[in-house]
Amino acid sequence: MAAMAALSSAVLVLSGCGGGSEAASSGSATSGEVNLIAYSGVWQDQYTAAVIEPFKAKYPDIKINYASKRSSAEMLSALQGQKNNPATDVAIMDNSVSTTGNKQGLFEKIDTDGVPNLANVQEKFRDKEGYGPVAMLDAVGLVYDTATFPEAPKSWKVLWDPAYAGKINVNAPPSLLGLSLTAITSKMEGEDYAQSIDSAVERLKEMAPGVQTFAPNPDEYQNVITGQTVLGLGQNARGQFYSDQSNKKMGVTFPEEGTVYQINTINLVKDAPHTAAAKTFVDYALSAEAQTAFAKALFYAPSVTNAELPADVKDRVVPTDGSLNIVPLDVEFLSSARDKWTDTWKRQIITK
Amino acid sequence: MTESKLSIVDLTKRYAAGLEPAVDRLNMEVEEGHLVALLGPSGCGKTTTLRMVAGLMDPTAGSIVVDGKEITHTPVNKRGMGMVFQSYALFPHMNVEQNVAFGLEMRQVPKAEQKARVAAALDMVQLGHLSKRQTKELSGGQQQRIALARALVVEPTLLLLDEPLSNLDAKLRETMRTEIRSIQQRTRATTLFVTHDQDEALDMADRIAVMNGGLIEQFGSPTEVYERPRTHFVANFIGQANFLTARVCTEAGRANLAGESYYKVDVEGLGQFGAIGTAGLSGSTHELVIRPHRLSVSLQPGAAQAPLAGTIERVSYTGDALSVAVRVGGQQLQAQMLTSSGDLPRVGDAAYLSWAPDDAYILPTPAVPERAAAA
Amino acid sequence: MTLLQTPVAPEKRSQARDEGKLEKATARRNRRTYLALLLPGLLGLLVSFVFPLAYMVRMSFNQGSPDGVIVETFTLDTYIQPLTDPYYWRVTLDTFQMGVTVGILCVLVSYPVALFLARSTSKWRGLLIAIAIAPLLTSAVVRTYGWMVILGTNGLINSSLDGLGLIDTPLKLTNNMTGVAIGLVEIFMPYAILAMISGFGRLSPQLEEAAGSLGASKFKVFTRVTLPLCLPGLLTAFLLVFVLSISTFITPRLLGGGSVQVLATEIYDQTTGLLNWPFAAALSVILLVLFGLIIAVYQRLTKKIGG
Repeated sequence: MAAMAALSSAVLVLSGCGGGSEAASSGSATSGEVNLIAYSGVWQDQYTAAVIEPFKAKYPDIKINYASKRSSAEMLSALQGQKNNPATDVAIMDNSVSTTGNKQGLFEKIDTDGVPNLANVQEKFRDKEGYGPVAMLDAVGLVYDTATFPEAPKSWKVLWDPAYAGKINVNAPPSLLGLSLTAITSKMEGEDYAQSIDSAVERLKEMAPGVQTFAPNPDEYQNVITGQTVLGLGQNARGQFYSDQSNKKMGVTFPEEGTVYQINTINLVKDAPHTAAAKTFVDYALSAEAQTAFAKALFYAPSVTNAELPADVKDRVVPTDGSLNIVPLDVEFLSSARDKWTDTWKRQIITK
Repeated sequence: MTESKLSIVDLTKRYAAGLEPAVDRLNMEVEEGHLVALLGPSGCGKTTTLRMVAGLMDPTAGSIVVDGKEITHTPVNKRGMGMVFQSYALFPHMNVEQNVAFGLEMRQVPKAEQKARVAAALDMVQLGHLSKRQTKELSGGQQQRIALARALVVEPTLLLLDEPLSNLDAKLRETMRTEIRSIQQRTRATTLFVTHDQDEALDMADRIAVMNGGLIEQFGSPTEVYERPRTHFVANFIGQANFLTARVCTEAGRANLAGESYYKVDVEGLGQFGAIGTAGLSGSTHELVIRPHRLSVSLQPGAAQAPLAGTIERVSYTGDALSVAVRVGGQQLQAQMLTSSGDLPRVGDAAYLSWAPDDAYILPTPAVPERAAAA
Repeated sequence: MTLLQTPVAPEKRSQARDEGKLEKATARRNRRTYLALLLPGLLGLLVSFVFPLAYMVRMSFNQGSPDGVIVETFTLDTYIQPLTDPYYWRVTLDTFQMGVTVGILCVLVSYPVALFLARSTSKWRGLLIAIAIAPLLTSAVVRTYGWMVILGTNGLINSSLDGLGLIDTPLKLTNNMTGVAIGLVEIFMPYAILAMISGFGRLSPQLEEAAGSLGASKFKVFTRVTLPLCLPGLLTAFLLVFVLSISTFITPRLLGGGSVQVLATEIYDQTTGLLNWPFAAALSVILLVLFGLIIAVYQRLTKKIGG
């Protein structure tokens, strides 16, 4: 094992010296280790159980080191920090952030030679330039207290209902939830948020005084479960998971005005120390087996065509067949708007 | 007799039930203008007494009367006394002038008058030129004087001094002794002075209360407590003393107008001697107190009548004086000789002791064998 | 004796000179020993403090961008932007205000405890002090979560008040500055108490007794003697709590509910949320300058009150 590590690092040094961009395949594809960077908390628990453990059973000689981060941005700053001497092999992160990483040259392109299962990924979920594909999908939902709402609210407008003032949690930008709500509100106001969000801001200002917290703690789901609030933004996947955990004390729904996808890509780090083993892992992560298992565990929608979900799971993951009203929040646009929208929220919307 | 400035009646302080009282039914009358020293070893209750008079501590029982007014439960700030603490307790955040003015300020004396009185008080302790100084820049003696000025400037009903000299070096202590005494006499401030130093008490006080175990053993003028100690403790605590247990035989006539008599006493193993004591002591056993310097020592026999023959066991030369310890019979007696008296004695020399009947005082309290042993 | 001393004296003097030389040599050797002993600490400080600080200052002159790319350059934009933007002035002012408020409240509630502990002659004093600072054994995060439970809409306070029929709608005690202040005051109390106890050195029962004997009522004793003598300790405690408050991130983040925007949370957002490290570094430098100013004022003040 140690010898292997030494060998692979020697190869890395050699390739570094040669200045070759093609660090084709360092190390063995079936042994060694893979340093993974991905989300923390319940996401880590479920992904470990549903994907990493079966992978280990299949490839007992590959060790997975899971470095968890609370957000994609934190993952990106970690990767930026090790840019000159990467210690990470694979990163699973939000696509808006991975796009930035792609532009910064942090990631390697992936093809079906190294990762055969890439072929099963739906065409629209593959990166046009060949970088990391979508690994799983989710969408922003409305989280609600089932005691207050025996029927799931139909519209986002419930957030403005004075009856629930003081009992709402809204994650302000730079959280994707807040950015999404901005886009959704803008669309509801008949505005093109790519041009202006002025009307949305006016609407959101009306909502703000009724917001209990703009940074729910410990998180947006527990706030509703413990009764601190009765309504809030949340992600469908975790919402479904916590709904089960809390004995349906909390529910999550997609209101009729539409919602925003939250997409996670799986990415291969450029000049990664264990590229070969990493590709093996990426391939497994895109397998029907892993995709189905994770959908069952945490209700993320698979990105591949060959994953068969049971009906009760299929109903609860975000539809990717076009049946859901989606507010498109373009990644390129988002990376330029994130700063401005965050500033706008801080300066104009968030009340003291 | 004039009305007392301060009367202490059956004053008792018990720190906790079940403990021996720190002060036990103490009674004392202090005359206007007097300086009274509370003298005793540590733990005798002298500071406790002072603190009760000051109002810093509540008595368990008894009462304190000043100028005919009962003040036992008057709070400290309403008693109008001036106190000087062992550590001086000058306020470190105020300068000299502000320290001295503090009491006047509390009494809401007009500013102009404050200024004049502070200046006068500082002049009295000869520190007028230091009025703007910070207290930490002052020497111990200067701090002491400021503390005194601060206590006196309010014209206190009583001046209370708690071991005021114990933090000064020996030389300065002597100077301050004289100075405090002279200021006290000039201001005629009735003063209670706590000390464990007998020299201080003898030198400064009009009256000394010798305290032991929460009780006053004797209350009297310096000469009284020195020359006519009432108890073994007083005789032993103040000055040096030789104690001889003696059977008082016959009264040999009146000695003086105070009603004292001369006696023939029988000291076991040494023989019969003359002594002086209060009337009516014949027939019981008492202790004789003889001060070392009242014993005459001679290296030749026959200088005095019926001298006691003994051997010198120890010689201690201190420049001014020469102390010798002489073994006579079963006892060792301390005596003093003048250093100019010719040949210096050596250990082992023969020595002959004698004393005048006036110099051997019979303690009025009968000698209880156990008590004498304990002491 | 006097005859003997004269011839001996020069010899003695030269001996003394030798001794002087020896002393100097010893002093030099001692100094070298001290330096050698200091070296590991200095190196540690260099690596763990000076380098990161220098890196941060250098970073603050770089150019950030929305997608997290840091351009190595030398620009003052990162400073000009916050210094010309009223929003950051407000954030700085809020930070300052929070520090002052928390500092004052913390000193107010800690003072009685510290005064009691400093004056106590009880044999339990050591234990009492240990109890007073025991909260330091739990992390600020845990204590902050505790406060979330107590201050929340359905928390201990609101449910008690509701149960007593005193309120109809729950008081908003968390997710705002009120919650942050309450949390910070409690979290920093042990520090304040410790700083005060060590700062009350000049306080002595005799001084209070002296004031009493000079006619000062209990109130006057407190205002004219006890309090002035405690001032250096109170000031130190205030400064400590102030500095801790304006640099803390956890409590404003967790109890502020996103509504409390202070420099520390802003720096966090810029670093981890928006990946604008140069801007975050510049804000950090501004915060550092703020610290420096406060400490300078503090030193002036302590000199004035003779601490």
